[in-house]
Amino acid sequence: MNPEPFHQLDRVIHEKGRLAIMSMLAASPELSFTELRNALGMTDGNLTTHIRTLQEEGFVAVSKSFAKNRPLTTCSLTAAGKKAFATYIDLLEQIVRQNKPE
Amino acid sequence: MDSNQAAEHLQTIRTLMERSAVYRRALAPIMIYCGVAGIGGGILGDALPLHSAGGFVLFWAGMAVLALAGTFLLVRRQSFKDGEPFWSPPVRRVTQALIPGLVAGALAGLLLVYENPYWFECRFIVPLWCVLFGLALHSAGFFMPHGLKLFGWVFIVAGFLLLYICWEGKANYMAIVLQPHWLMGLTFGGLHLAYGIYLYFTESRRKAS
Repeated sequence: MNPEPFHQLDRVIHEKGRLAIMSMLAASPELSFTELRNALGMTDGNLTTHIRTLQEEGFVAVSKSFAKNRPLTTCSLTAAGKKAFATYIDLLEQIVRQNKPE
Repeated sequence: MDSNQAAEHLQTIRTLMERSAVYRRALAPIMIYCGVAGIGGGILGDALPLHSAGGFVLFWAGMAVLALAGTFLLVRRQSFKDGEPFWSPPVRRVTQALIPGLVAGALAGLLLVYENPYWFECRFIVPLWCVLFGLALHSAGFFMPHGLKLFGWVFIVAGFLLLYICWEGKANYMAIVLQPHWLMGLTFGGLHLAYGIYLYFTESRRKAS
């Protein structure tokens, strides 16, 4: 088995919580902090930490606005985030294909 | 990481992506269109000589087709404008969620035609249609971020309220007011229009902020 694809997996995305956030954001133009928290069952602190890590890597953009006089935090994938996520999926598919019987 | 773990990872990612993809098109134009069509249908239905169970069901089936066709056209236009596919997974899921309630309503209509009751008794189908439509909307609401589930509840409550009024008003002056076409216009037209106007202002405000 060629271990190369595994070593190429992005360590930032590979973490369970961050991978879940990236997956959710990959399927939607943007999601609010509340939508992410409710869908993933994370605590506010945990989600904030993961989003900050992804933001520092340049994978996620965070914008703050107001809706119905309430603060609204929305997250979306950046172009770099979309590319990194697509690469991550490609590598996973390579790993799956490696052990597939011919 | 072996291939089984990688496959599990991919499956989890797929599930999360499906859960995240919710229907996000602006609902205000759709609701306003359906509201105007409903009210217009109520007025037109009363003006036309369609005072029989068969005519009533056929007329409102036509109105439902018109409303659905218009809704799909509006969604299609919005999708093209945003450069996204029309028949996307969220649209598919919303449609699938709506189908059981709508089919049940259609079957109830067929039953009414088959039984062919006295014209004013046809009004009792309107509360049933309201409740079934409310259930359909509530199911669709699981794939939409807006308050569609709540709107579904409004239809369910309105249906039962209407059923009570229909029973109470059976033998008095209310019978004239409770003309089936009017009831359809008031419930389906009025509620859609009210919700559409509400969304028109709230959706615009959210975009502006």
